[in-house]
Amino acid sequence: MAPNKMIATLKEKAAAVQVVVTEIQDLHEAFNYAIDLTRKQGGAAMAAPGWDDASLAALRTGCAQAGLALLAENLREHLAEIHTGLTWADWGIAETGTLVLDSSSEDLRLASMLSETHVAVLPTSKVLATAGDLEEEMKRLMQSPPNYLAFITGASRTADIERVLTLGVHGPLELHLLLLKD
Amino acid sequence: MINTAQNLKEYKKRLKKALDNKFLGTTLGNFASAYKEAQGRIFAGVDVPGLIREIAAGKDAALPRLEELYEAFKTKAEAAGVKVHLAATALAANEIIARIAQDSGVKKVVKSKSMTAEETFLNDHLEREGLEVVETDLGEWIIQLRREGPSHMVMPAIHLSRQEVAELFTKVTGQTQEPDIEKLVKVARKELRKAFLEADMGISGANFAIAESGALGILSNEGNARLTTTLPRVHVALVGVDKLVPDLATALRILKVLPPRATGQIITSYVSWITGPNECPPGPGGKKEMHIVFLDNGRLALARDPVFSQALRCVRCGACANVCPIYAQVGGHNYGHVYIGAIGLILTYFYHGRKNDRAIVQNCLNCQACKAVCPAGIDLPHLIKETYCEVLKGEEKLPLKNRVLKRVLKDRRLFHFLLRRASLAQKPWTRKEGFLRHLPFFFGQEHEFRSLPVIARVPFRDLWSRMYQKVDHPRYRVALFGGCLVDFVYPEQGVALLKLLKDRQVQVEYPLGQTCCGLPAKMMGEKEVAREVALQNLTALDPGHYDYILTLCASCGSHIKEAYPKLLGADPGARVKVEQMLGKLIDFSSFMTNVLKVKAERFKQGKKQVAYHSPCHLCRGMGVTAAPRELLGIAGLEYVPAKDEDVCCGMGGTFSLDFPELSARLLEQKLDNVAATGAGLLVTDCPGCVLQLRGGMDKRGGKVQVKHIAEVVAEEIKE
Repeated sequence: MAPNKMIATLKEKAAAVQVVVTEIQDLHEAFNYAIDLTRKQGGAAMAAPGWDDASLAALRTGCAQAGLALLAENLREHLAEIHTGLTWADWGIAETGTLVLDSSSEDLRLASMLSETHVAVLPTSKVLATAGDLEEEMKRLMQSPPNYLAFITGASRTADIERVLTLGVHGPLELHLLLLKD
Repeated sequence: MINTAQNLKEYKKRLKKALDNKFLGTTLGNFASAYKEAQGRIFAGVDVPGLIREIAAGKDAALPRLEELYEAFKTKAEAAGVKVHLAATALAANEIIARIAQDSGVKKVVKSKSMTAEETFLNDHLEREGLEVVETDLGEWIIQLRREGPSHMVMPAIHLSRQEVAELFTKVTGQTQEPDIEKLVKVARKELRKAFLEADMGISGANFAIAESGALGILSNEGNARLTTTLPRVHVALVGVDKLVPDLATALRILKVLPPRATGQIITSYVSWITGPNECPPGPGGKKEMHIVFLDNGRLALARDPVFSQALRCVRCGACANVCPIYAQVGGHNYGHVYIGAIGLILTYFYHGRKNDRAIVQNCLNCQACKAVCPAGIDLPHLIKETYCEVLKGEEKLPLKNRVLKRVLKDRRLFHFLLRRASLAQKPWTRKEGFLRHLPFFFGQEHEFRSLPVIARVPFRDLWSRMYQKVDHPRYRVALFGGCLVDFVYPEQGVALLKLLKDRQVQVEYPLGQTCCGLPAKMMGEKEVAREVALQNLTALDPGHYDYILTLCASCGSHIKEAYPKLLGADPGARVKVEQMLGKLIDFSSFMTNVLKVKAERFKQGKKQVAYHSPCHLCRGMGVTAAPRELLGIAGLEYVPAKDEDVCCGMGGTFSLDFPELSARLLEQKLDNVAATGAGLLVTDCPGCVLQLRGGMDKRGGKVQVKHIAEVVAEEIKE
């Protein structure tokens, strides 16, 4: 599949499971997006595990200006506080609209599981056509345990009562995908 | 507590109650429609049969190697720091998990969904050991609070309304909760979040255990499996040994079909691949204490069984329930024990015993909808009947119908003699339209939903000698397999066929040694009788003499195709003949359309509107879907599609006698769908369906005529 086609498919399939997809040019856009969203939703804290020092510095400034707490590590100490989880996604799978996160770090898992809103940044170069295209990479990860690899497709959902689709049972109520051109 | 009916009388009482539950019927009916639509959408352009074949072949290759896969998995997982256990029985699994809890000082447990834990009744065991266990899947939590078992493998609380859930949550939280689904979900989020944060141990199931890496794959929509495997310091996964797959590729292949077949999703919201104990600060050394308990509970022996090993291909998607017309009427609590749906009727016998299975296992139409949808290609209707055979072995006394069948069916002369006597005996009770005026005295009120046809005064086999025509230079030599209904109830269908084949250079034979195809015997679990009559038919219709063996009865055709190889496969001579027979077996519509290639100019082109009922045994059993609709067009009839054309009419042979209320409900829905088309004529290609549909139409005083496609097409010939 051509890259453009893959990205278009990813967007379509993600949107079909209520993911809010936005294309961005650089990381500053991502940070501003996450900060604005948190503020708009009335959140007080953002968890941002796995970002490098320069990104964290930028986020820290932005969060401070917006009056938000930034949680970068030891998230287990802040389990009830996380409103937004801002993370990288390692891969995207076009066919199913899936984000793949190597979540071996507990902080990354907590940010993407316990937040009300999960914002994930995915470089467009990391979009693959099918899960099969990720098989070799997955095998490599599984051969060097411990490893916790997460496929995430849309927000947490249930249809357990009367088959009515409802978002946000135990995981995030919203999933936002920021596609970063690279 | 799960309390499954252990005898037919009690079971039928519960079925009746379920049939009166309007909510259940509507919810399940809506789901069935949405589900069907999703299958078409998700798999558009995909070679589904090819995918199913691959999955089946992969499972079949893995099953004889389960012990080897277990050892490989254990080596990898233990090298990563996981403790791997093998539990021989359900009790052993529960005890292992209780001991882990005790050794690690666990007080509170959260669980994500695991059918295997339902199988072992793990919660009860852990609670008896003094542990607090909270289910975290919304549906599982609801049924845990109600002390019920799941009514579906992936949608455990689908039998409950929002009002019922609101009442329950009001009780649990001590605050009034509105019957608003979104709000109810939030209640669960809040309540269960507390449980997650307090738990010392998380228990999950797993969908895949990958031998090459020691990794687990876990599917979830709510995200509770992720929290269960992340927050508590101890993680125990309880996994059936049948979930072992050799490699990741196999798991990814199953992942392509499991969510679509389960809920109609392309993929679940979350798939977690966990290899070894991951970072977990409260755990020993900052890592999770991780255990994987594999459950045998009969699986390793089942894997070696020549017939039943197929049941272990199951990937627990619940599709066999999703498409089952009976499940859609009565729900999972009346259609299984712990495991529900078609696979539940089979697994209950092996995992939870004969008594829990002996009533439910009989509740199968053999409509083959489950077989057609199963992503692992399990021949579910066949295994259900095989299970019933096993169940019967434990009965002190065989049902009366079995005793009669055993005596009568094997002896064709006696069988046909009795049919002729019945034809004479019924004379005073015959109505003009070919129906019995009253049902015989031994039929109860519940059988009154359809009029029953009379047995023909002159059976087809007696007409045959008068109608036989020698063809000098035939293009095709065709043996007609009539089946009991064409022969003794609806000979006019055979006569219509002869009219259509006249002057077509087809030499038709009706070998008089033919007898019942044996399907009723199979339905009743009488394999020996089924085998006996199969041999008689094979002798009577020696395929060496004919180009085609044509049948007007889809049920007979499907039974010959599906069951004869299984019944006679071990008999070297007969096996060859059976295979030859299958190569020549053809249904009426396919013969007319694809072999004779009949042309429109032979027909009147009257443009009469017709609705069509697609017999289970034709569209799924014999795989014929296009030919009959095409033939209707050629014959100048205007085919008007109806809703759910390929859903069973409720006949199911002897099923309609065993479960008349269910049969009546399916028939009612079928006739409602037909009525909605506005067509004045309903056509089908199975005399069994004709019996059911015509009888039901007469009873409701409907104006729609019901006919076999051969009759209708014959009537349209230009004179």
